[in-house]
Amino acid sequence: MFPTSSQCKYWMFSSEDELNLLREKANNKHIQLYGKGMNDPWKGDFFLTPDEEQVMVKKYEIHLRDFCKRFLPPMPRCVIGTSFHYFKRFYIKNSVMNYHPKEIMVTCIYLACKVEEFNVSIQQFVANIKGDREKAADIILNNELLLMEQLNFHLAIHNPFRPVEGLLIDIKTRGSLHDPERLRQGTEQFLERVFLTDAILLYAPSQVALAAILHAASKLQENLDSYVTDVLFGKDGKNRLAVLIDAVRAIRSMEKTADNTPDKTYIRTLEKKLEKCRNLENNPDSEIYKKKMQALLDEDDDLYNAITVQNQQKNDSALSMKVPSSP
Amino acid sequence: MEKMENYKVIGRAGEGAHGYVFEGLDLRTNRTVALKKISINPELSIPKNTIREICALRALKNKNIVKLFEVTSTGSAVVLVMEFLPCSLQEILKKIDLNLSQIKSYSKMLLKGVRFLHFNHIMHRDIKPANLLISPRRILKIADFGLARIYDGQTRQYSHQVATRWYRAPELLYSSKSYTPSIDMWSVGCIIAEMVNKTPLFPGETDIEQLAIVLSTLGTPTEENWPDLKELPDFNKISFTSGPGKPWRVILPLADTITLDLIKKIIIYDGSKRLTAQQALNHSFVIEEPKPARLQDMPDPKNYKEETPHYDPKEFDEIIAEINKI
Repeated sequence: MFPTSSQCKYWMFSSEDELNLLREKANNKHIQLYGKGMNDPWKGDFFLTPDEEQVMVKKYEIHLRDFCKRFLPPMPRCVIGTSFHYFKRFYIKNSVMNYHPKEIMVTCIYLACKVEEFNVSIQQFVANIKGDREKAADIILNNELLLMEQLNFHLAIHNPFRPVEGLLIDIKTRGSLHDPERLRQGTEQFLERVFLTDAILLYAPSQVALAAILHAASKLQENLDSYVTDVLFGKDGKNRLAVLIDAVRAIRSMEKTADNTPDKTYIRTLEKKLEKCRNLENNPDSEIYKKKMQALLDEDDDLYNAITVQNQQKNDSALSMKVPSSP
Repeated sequence: MEKMENYKVIGRAGEGAHGYVFEGLDLRTNRTVALKKISINPELSIPKNTIREICALRALKNKNIVKLFEVTSTGSAVVLVMEFLPCSLQEILKKIDLNLSQIKSYSKMLLKGVRFLHFNHIMHRDIKPANLLISPRRILKIADFGLARIYDGQTRQYSHQVATRWYRAPELLYSSKSYTPSIDMWSVGCIIAEMVNKTPLFPGETDIEQLAIVLSTLGTPTEENWPDLKELPDFNKISFTSGPGKPWRVILPLADTITLDLIKKIIIYDGSKRLTAQQALNHSFVIEEPKPARLQDMPDPKNYKEETPHYDPKEFDEIIAEINKI
C-alpha cells in the first residue's frame, strides 16, 4: 500500500523548490570539494551549475525513455516507471559531475528490471547497448550496490499504472462516460510525458493517474467532473476534494513542461564540459578507477577500502547532508 | 545511511544460500539483532533473492512476519538487520510433541501471517518449518523471503523450481508456471498435518518420489478433482500406476475429525478449491474446543534452540574480528 511505503515516507517532496534546493546542495558540495584552490570565476567556468546539471539530467531522462522503448525483449511499463524513479532519486543527492548520468541511467534500468521481475540476464541487457558491451556490463555491476545504497535500499516503487487501471474499471462501473476505453491512449501519452517532470516526486501515484485520466477526457472533450466530485469523493470527501483538484492542476501544468527539451548544441557544450570536470575516481576510463576495481577483484580489501574511504570521507565531510536512515 | 559501526557481531547464527547470519548487538539500543550478510561478488550482479527479500519484508509489517529493521552495506556486502530469532518450528517439532491446543495456536499464527502476505499480493513460495521462527514471546513469525514474489491479476510466468520438496504443491511438481498463492496454502496444510502426526506428511527423497508419494496418498488425480492437470508441462512426461489413494483416517491416524476436515480442504489437487488463509481461519478447527493455546502455554523457544555449532574458539575470534573490522 502506498501510504505505508518507503516511497511515501522518504521520497515524496513538498515542492519543486525543495527539490531544487537539495540539488543545489549536491552541486555545491561537489564544487567545494573538488574546486579547492580555484578562484570563483575559474570554478564557474570549470564546473556545471545546478541548472546545467538539470539540463544533463533531463537529457538522460529522455535517453532513458528511448532506451527502454527500444529495449529487446520489450519491457513492461512498470520497469520504465521504476527506472525513472531511481534515476531522479539518485540525482537529488548526487551531482552529475560525481557520477556520470549515462552510467547511472543504465544501472537504474538494470536494477529496475530485477526489482520488477522482468528477467533479463546482464548479457541480454547489454546487448541493447551500442558500443563496448563488456565495459558496459562492468560499469553496471560496479554501480549496482552504489545505486542501492543511494536509494537507501528503498527499492519498491509505486507507479501510476495500476491506479489508472483501477480508475478505468471504476469509471466503467460507476461513471456515466460512454466507452471509457477511449481514455486509454490519452492517458498513456500523458503518463509518458509526466515521467520527464518532477511530478512523480511530488504527488502520489493515484493523483498522477487521475490527472492523466482527466487530461485524456478533456482531450476527447469529455467531462469527468461529476464522476470525481459525486462518485469518487461523494458526500464525505468534499473537503479533501480541494486538495486533489490543486494536485491535479499542478500535475497537468507540470506535464506541459515535459517538452522543454534543451537545445542540441547547448547540450554538446555541456557534455564536453562534463567530460572535463567529472570525478576521475568514478570515471571507468581513469587510472584511479582502474586501480580501485583491480583492488576489488584481487580482494585486496585494505587497498580498496583505503581508496573508497578516502573518497567517502571527502563526500561526507563536504555534504554535511547525511542520507536519511532507512527504517 | 546507517553504518555497520552501530553493530557489534557477537556470534554466528547460521548459514544461508548467499552468506552468513550473525548474531549482533545494536550498540545504540542494546538490542540483539540478526545480521544477514550477503556478499556481493563484484563480477556478478546482486542476487535477485536479496532484492526480493528486501522488497517483500519492507512492505510486510505484521506480528507474524519477521521484522526487518534496516538494510545497510559494508564493503561489498549488503547487510539485512532483522529480528534475532534463533529457534524455528523445525527444532521444536524435533524435540517435543505439541498438544492439539498448541498445534492450533501455531496454525493460527501461521495462517494470520499467510493471510497478511497474500493480502499484500506477495506469495512466499518456501513455507516450511525451518522458515517459521519462534520469538522469545513465543510468537510464530514467517521468515526467509528469498523466494517471495509479488503477484498481480495478470497471468505471469513463474519459476516452478520453488519451495522445499516436502512442502511443494503438486502443480509445482508437474512444473506449472502459472500457479497462484494457493501453493503457500498447500505448504501450510503439510505443516499442520506434520504437527498433528509428528512426522512429515509427504517426505519424498527425490522430485519424482515426491510426486509418487502425493499421488499414492491422495489417489490418482482425475479430470474432476484436477481440471488443469492435462495442461501442466510435465503431465505427459511421467506416469504412475493409478490407485484410489488412502482414506484420511489412515493417513493421519492421530487427527481428530475437525482437524481432518481442515486438512482435507487444504491438501487437494485443485489449487482454486484449496481453502484460502482467511477461510482456514474461519474453520471450526480454529474456533472450537480445544481452543488455540495462550502464548504462555506455548513452548519456550529458549529451551529448544538449535545447539550452536561448535567452532574452534580461535577461529571463531578471527571470524568475528574480521567482521567487526568492516
